[in-house]
Amino acid sequence: MVSSSRVFRIAALALRVLLGAVFVYAAWAKLRQPWELFAMSIDAYKVLPYWAVVAVARTLPWAEMLIGLALMAGRWPRVSAGAASLLLMVFFALMVRAYAKRMQIDCGCFGLGDPISARTLARDGALLAGCLFLTWTSFRGRRKPA
Amino acid sequence: MKLFALALTALLPCLAASSDADSGKALGSPSAPIRIEVFSDFECPACKGLHEQILPLVMKDYVIPGKVFLVSREFPLAMHRYSREAASYATAAARFGKYEQVADTLFKNQVAWAASGKVWDTVAGVLTPAEAKKVLLLAKDPSVMSEVERDVEAGKAAGINQTPTMIVTRGTSRFPVAGAVNYNLLRSMLDGLLK
Repeated sequence: MVSSSRVFRIAALALRVLLGAVFVYAAWAKLRQPWELFAMSIDAYKVLPYWAVVAVARTLPWAEMLIGLALMAGRWPRVSAGAASLLLMVFFALMVRAYAKRMQIDCGCFGLGDPISARTLARDGALLAGCLFLTWTSFRGRRKPA
Repeated sequence: MKLFALALTALLPCLAASSDADSGKALGSPSAPIRIEVFSDFECPACKGLHEQILPLVMKDYVIPGKVFLVSREFPLAMHRYSREAASYATAAARFGKYEQVADTLFKNQVAWAASGKVWDTVAGVLTPAEAKKVLLLAKDPSVMSEVERDVEAGKAAGINQTPTMIVTRGTSRFPVAGAVNYNLLRSMLDGLLK
């Protein structure tokens, strides 16, 4: 008989690998194109000045790659899961804002051709929920018993 | 008018054999290293912005110097009531080299005709009576209607789901650029592709 804690651990591992793969894919989709295309997607949200758009477009895909690889490899679980949750919270908030303002723009999540819609919000919301769960499990697992 | 003047300058090399150049909707040299196809809808406000603010800069910096071959494609969205009619008139006018004038006036007066539905009055304003007669006839010609449809199908095949979208092609690499564009970023990208 498989214990419930074992099932829980296996589920958390599968989720971690899956979310890591999603982050690696998102990074790869941006890095294989000229950085200016991602910069245009960021610029379309109209929240950052030009210099910040350039800085984010040049660095964020590498951060996503690092977080994704760390999640998949199980290295620095609390830091990687926490960073992934934080990033997704920011992305999700920006997407909700753009959707509420009826801005017809690309989400910029996985390269181009992905306009913000209820579907993209549901997808990113699910990813955020998964990351938050993973963050919770990574801290819970390290807590010492009283 | 500014775009029209630039267009005239850039149209001259277009006499080279090319189906796009022959269509009257292309500007620049077909042998330019970069090709940009602009899929737009005459009733879309972001397309107006691209046409009036960004494309004249692209013309000046890249098309006229022979670095970019610019092709206009029609992508009238179903949500816009008069955009297909506008696309038909513009495509008809392209048959005798008047595409840019018609496109310029359609974008310039977009708010007015989109509200009133008087697309033809807007188009006729930049044509001579003889040209106007020709456009009216051609707009109903099945070949013009199928040309518009071909553009739409080409856009759908390229995965376009919003206007304006530019497909930037350099060799075998194709990059879609959707929505309103920051010219500094577009210029940086084009310069990078030209290196």
